[in-house]
Amino acid sequence: MDIKDLEKTHIGIPKMCKDLADGRVGRREFLRTTTLLGLSAPVAYSLLGEITGDGAIPQAQAQDAPQQGGTLRISMPVMEISDPATVDWSQKGNLLRMVIEPLVQLGSDNIARPWLAESWEASDDLSTWTFRLRQNAQWNNGDAFTADDVVAAFARWLDPATGSSNFGRFSSLQNDAGDGMIENGVVKIDDYTVQFNLRTPDLGLPELMTDYPALITHRDFDGRFQNNPIGTGPYRMTDYAVGQRASFVRRDEGEYWNDGFYVDAIEIIDHGDDPNATLAALRSGQVDLLYEMQISQVPAVREVPELVLYETVTAQTGVARMHVTEPPFDNPLVRQAIQACIDHELLLELGYDGLGVPGEDHHVAPVHPEYAEIPRLSQDYDRARQLLAEAGFGNGLDVTIDCVAAPTWEPNTCQVIAQMVRPAGINLAVNIMPGGTYWDRWTVAPFGFTSWTHRPLGVTVLNLAYRSGVPWNETGYSNPDFDALLDRANGTYDVEERRQLMVELQTMLRDDAIIVQPYWRAIHTASRDNLRGFELQPAREFHFQNVWLADA
Amino acid sequence: MVIFLAKRTVFMVLTMIAVSILLILLLEVNVGSLPTRVLGPYITEVQAAQWLEDEGYNRPIYVRYFEWVGDMLTGDFGYSTRFQIPVSEVLWERLGNTALLAFFVFALMVPLSLTLGILSGMREGSGLDRSISFVSVLTTSIPEFASAVLLSTIFVFALGWLEGTVGSGDGFHWTQMILPVTVLVLYGFGYIARMMRASMAEVMQSPYIRTAILKGLPYRRVIIRHALRNALIAPFTVIILQINWLLSGVIVVEFFFSYDGFGALLLEGAQNTDIDLIQACAMIAVVVAVSTQTIADIGYTYLNPRIRFS
Repeated sequence: MDIKDLEKTHIGIPKMCKDLADGRVGRREFLRTTTLLGLSAPVAYSLLGEITGDGAIPQAQAQDAPQQGGTLRISMPVMEISDPATVDWSQKGNLLRMVIEPLVQLGSDNIARPWLAESWEASDDLSTWTFRLRQNAQWNNGDAFTADDVVAAFARWLDPATGSSNFGRFSSLQNDAGDGMIENGVVKIDDYTVQFNLRTPDLGLPELMTDYPALITHRDFDGRFQNNPIGTGPYRMTDYAVGQRASFVRRDEGEYWNDGFYVDAIEIIDHGDDPNATLAALRSGQVDLLYEMQISQVPAVREVPELVLYETVTAQTGVARMHVTEPPFDNPLVRQAIQACIDHELLLELGYDGLGVPGEDHHVAPVHPEYAEIPRLSQDYDRARQLLAEAGFGNGLDVTIDCVAAPTWEPNTCQVIAQMVRPAGINLAVNIMPGGTYWDRWTVAPFGFTSWTHRPLGVTVLNLAYRSGVPWNETGYSNPDFDALLDRANGTYDVEERRQLMVELQTMLRDDAIIVQPYWRAIHTASRDNLRGFELQPAREFHFQNVWLADA
Repeated sequence: MVIFLAKRTVFMVLTMIAVSILLILLLEVNVGSLPTRVLGPYITEVQAAQWLEDEGYNRPIYVRYFEWVGDMLTGDFGYSTRFQIPVSEVLWERLGNTALLAFFVFALMVPLSLTLGILSGMREGSGLDRSISFVSVLTTSIPEFASAVLLSTIFVFALGWLEGTVGSGDGFHWTQMILPVTVLVLYGFGYIARMMRASMAEVMQSPYIRTAILKGLPYRRVIIRHALRNALIAPFTVIILQINWLLSGVIVVEFFFSYDGFGALLLEGAQNTDIDLIQACAMIAVVVAVSTQTIADIGYTYLNPRIRFS
């Protein structure tokens, strides 16, 4: 590909190539940014190889030819999925992804690839994006998949009455009043082309479309998915009982647009909240794959030769977040005092067996391409005591943190935090509650521990969780300077410029001390050794295109 | 006899009424969180208030109480917010599953514990008695969660002989029942065996047994015809009360083996603040407890002629 072709895809790509050659941009940043700008993943990988001179193209691993057939049985909670736009758990996304699909899919290498969209182009200033859609995708009720479906989906998402987290996710499509979509935000150009006219430029637009609430439903979707599961996806839902099981069978030959998807049927079985039960089911061959497992189970899986362990380092995390309108956390000094007590390395060691990377209290991970390294805070009890005294709590402070009972790393981490703040005179009680109870109040609890899944870009989470007034803003944080900076970061593809903005954003978030973020955790799961072609995606998304069963 | 039965029944009904009132008062505290459970976490306060109004939660508590009792008597247990189906659709199936588990446990545990108890009590202080007592005290003092972990570590993980959960997917195979049944039998049999032993030992020391032996009756005949009948009276109550434990008290075992039973249902209802489900499960548990108690009382009285029916 010569420079002209690259420029045609996007004007920013030639500069990215130059930055890569000069060593100003890392491999990951290069791949991530050029694919977002519209370059296909194979081309981006081959350019990277050409420029750096090493074999960056992922080598196809020598494997047997996939076998068609069989039933893949998976242990995963079967949750309620009435409206795909409002789902708030990856597990729900995995159920839905069998039947409905996203425009863009995030691979296990963290690279966004076209899925229901065939390709996209961004204007030079990243404010106009043109998505071309696949012409051979078909809904399982016989309708053709067209631009009307995409326009209808975005119209639902950007309607605050829907209550979708996509409202915050696609904030660049919100109108100024923040009560709906901007005029002509999503426009049908023809049956297979959709144009997005953003209020503020956003490099991350394609990656936002990979997130689990952004699966595309039929244009006539009525808000009750399980009653009428119409989708473009590879499987049909044949059985669904919350808390018990869900079954899927592959669509008829030639009805589905993509190849692969070798498994004939998929059964999801809910084994309840006991992680021992899921592992026991796997060990005794009652299921082939687990949705997740606890770190305490890693050694057990290593012991059994018939089981395969999967591990991946992610931007999955948990945050001990403080609600800025709830006393005593409305006082920044209190929040900073708690932050000053934390030794992140030790927290990782004690809370998560050291399997991950220490956090920095700003929710941008080293695996994010735009992550900027800023000086770390270290544990400082003198400062903590001084801050508390200034805040009027010189004689000590009694607070309570809410957290879920399972998975156990969450309450364990809270217990370690409670021990860490004690020397500064903070008496932190850990209020462990059932998951359902916590998730009823996670956005309003004064102090709570919330787990966050992996998102491909750092700015994605900042937009979802820390922008003023968005549905998933669980801290009540509202800072116009932060919002404005975030708008700028969203629209900047020049890596150096973007990183400078990230330094400011990360520093601002950390110093406002609304979260204590212990660590970024590695995630694990396990399968039987009959399962082939499975990769653990960092957001735990199930992608079964290349998966097959050796004993089918 | 008739007066006795009537008295017992009235007492049973009164207990249920008392518990039902207590239940509705306890759950009343949580009514405010109901709209969020049903409509999702993003609803506004107006929507929540509207929902409470539409569903009739703003009416006086006594009106709702009588309506609830009436509905239950006609088999309508309300709607489960956790399972998104009417409670009755999940409740009876789960109770049936638990009854099946209880049946297997009963079928094994009762003959086993009675036999061991009789053998043990027949010759108090013998080597056999001491061995049986040791084993039954040991297994009864290991809680279910511990023996479940131990047995599953050995037979599921290390040896790979047995399946670790029950009913993954469509139905289940009887081999999957081995572990949960074993855990429950191990935990339960010791208690009944100890009761049987004590009762048997007491009977064996009574003068009429000595007379029977001394007048030259075969030992076997003394045990079966004379000792056993009287010795069975005390363990009978204990055995009947096990039904209550097996139907509503095996939460840990059901949870551990992912068994879709009544105990696991109660736990799920509690974890998800599924009010209708909790109320229904609690009432069923009360009905089971009070009925088994009544049956035990009646049975005991019937078996033991020394107690009058009046």
